[in-house]
Amino acid sequence: MSERLAIEELLHAEHLPHLWCPGCGIGMVTGAFLRAVLALGLRREETVVVGGIGCSSRAVGYIDVGTVHAIHGRALAFATGIKMARPEFTVVVITGDGDGAAIGGNHLIHACRRNIDLTCILFNNRVYGMTGGQLSPTMEAGRRASTAPYGQTEPAFDLCELARAAGATFVARGIAAEVRALEKMIRQGIEHRGFSFIEALVPCPTEYGRRNPPAGAVDMLLSDKARAVSVSEAAAMSQQELQGKIVTGILHHDSDKSEFQAGYAELVARVQGNRGTLGGN
Amino acid sequence: MERWHYHALQEAIDSSTLLVQGNRACALGALDAGVRFFAGYPITPSSEIMETMAYELPRVGGVFLQMEDEIASICACIGAALTGTLAMTATSGPGFSLMQEAIGYATMVEAPLVIVNVMRVGPSTGRPTAPSQGDVMQARWGTHGDHPAVVLAASNVADMYRLTMAAVRFAQRFRTPAILLADEVVGHMRESFSTELIGRYRLTSGDFDFTPSYVHPEMVREVHPPHVLGSKTHPHVTGLMHDETGFPTDDPAKSDQFLRQLHDKIGNHRDELCLYDVKNEGKGRVCIVAYGSCARSARAALRLAEQEGLPVEVLHLYTLFPLPVEIIQEVARRVEFMLVPELNLGQYAREIRKMAENWTTVISMGKVDGTLLTPREIVDRVAELIGKYESV
Ligand code: SF4
Repeated sequence: MSERLAIEELLHAEHLPHLWCPGCGIGMVTGAFLRAVLALGLRREETVVVGGIGCSSRAVGYIDVGTVHAIHGRALAFATGIKMARPEFTVVVITGDGDGAAIGGNHLIHACRRNIDLTCILFNNRVYGMTGGQLSPTMEAGRRASTAPYGQTEPAFDLCELARAAGATFVARGIAAEVRALEKMIRQGIEHRGFSFIEALVPCPTEYGRRNPPAGAVDMLLSDKARAVSVSEAAAMSQQELQGKIVTGILHHDSDKSEFQAGYAELVARVQGNRGTLGGN
Repeated sequence: MERWHYHALQEAIDSSTLLVQGNRACALGALDAGVRFFAGYPITPSSEIMETMAYELPRVGGVFLQMEDEIASICACIGAALTGTLAMTATSGPGFSLMQEAIGYATMVEAPLVIVNVMRVGPSTGRPTAPSQGDVMQARWGTHGDHPAVVLAASNVADMYRLTMAAVRFAQRFRTPAILLADEVVGHMRESFSTELIGRYRLTSGDFDFTPSYVHPEMVREVHPPHVLGSKTHPHVTGLMHDETGFPTDDPAKSDQFLRQLHDKIGNHRDELCLYDVKNEGKGRVCIVAYGSCARSARAALRLAEQEGLPVEVLHLYTLFPLPVEIIQEVARRVEFMLVPELNLGQYAREIRKMAENWTTVISMGKVDGTLLTPREIVDRVAELIGKYESV
């Protein structure tokens, strides 16, 4: 009960009800994020959430911390500017698979590479929901979309693999059906000093489910749950056994790699310390 | 005739001692105006601005970022601006095109920031090291939707310094992106430059206060309250149509009011925003209206014309947008021709024609071969116009 009241304080009640469809998984993961914020005791003034464009990014309009609803695909670039200008802020990016991995893919790669201390929660519903069910880079081959009426022919992007390969130092994947686990991952991601990438698989019954059975919200949650295997379970499985599975949990965690903002602060200190010897330009 | 604050800067130019490149002067102007955040992506012919910032910003505790592209660059600058940090980026045509969506966003959320475009010949890759003024209308109308624009044009190295500073001040005062255009040659040329102007890293200057959430007292009614991240209000910022609270609205009356206010805060302050300078005021039958490198040629053309007994005045525009309607119409009323030399096919001449054609004949003189318009070319055109008039 006390948690619930506190969560309400983190929401702009005057802008509710939210615009998400009944059965949409975005609200579940947004709730997990809010509980993580409460558990960490983050200060509202020093917490900034940046969203791009799309269903998930609209979460920023309901969360009562500093929030920026940016332009399509560029949330991470905005967040990079905010974090570098105000290193003491906790900066979280809420993005989707279209926003974060298609139009914003380049920024994702480079945010990972820099290992800047941001937490990116990518809500992967495997479809463009807001614009009407077009195919997304995370949609599995054979699935249907309004722009793939005969089925998706491209392979799906494994975003956690991408993040890890590009240099992210905290990489995790969760599913809306296991929202408590996601909450914990988000908390750990925010606590981690470096770039944290958390992929949250969420059902979109309206635009994905209607073209790709199972169609109902509950069935979609159950279907993801049935496919989910933990990191430790996956370790004991063959590649063949892993086909079609969703590996969940913390996939990668490296606390040793240097963080971008801290590295820049060191550079500034070094340059300022050596002012007399640097010479003019 | 000079605008007062422009004049104040002009005076300090006179004791020149240093040889400085235009792009470097731009970076110094930004630093002196309080810019402490720069994010950019390399592109000819603007890269020296970025290189100077890379060198100087860490020394003053500012932030320098080389981003993955121009879109990321301007978006990082907007992010910084939303925290109350003065931010700038610099680019050239192709990069400027990539930035357009974000320029609209900055306009919409009223984020103060400066974008420098050192222009090269386009379209497309064009001629990266040849001067051009081909991006004038892109600077005005590059982003989508009805939006105001603040666009300045530098004609020499001193301009690169003081107009960068002016752009920072305008951006902050009017809470809007301000664009500084320079032709390639202005960015790359080296000229003597006053050391007094390089009063490095002052945070305040003249009438302007550079504190984060500053809104000039007169502006309070027209500029929406700034939404600074980190402030007690922990605001919401969105590119959606919004009202004063910062939250989205679909209300037709509020949308209309918001958009008109965005325009009015610029349009109602043309007297302050429009920087110009008239030479040989009231003595010309032909007025050469010019900006950027062409204004330099026009000033030299004026001297040639005087020697040759041709009655010419020069209107040198430092502000292209908002349109300097008042001075254009004032001059148009007294001259027979307005000659507009430009390194494009008449982009700004069309704007002048719209403002002046009731009173005078506006002649476009465009050049797009990647070379400068020479004073001789301009004077010959003036002589031709006057000759034509005499023979009528
Ligand atoms: S379209 Fe899909 S993702 Fe968007 S709100 Fe509806 S269910 Fe959620």
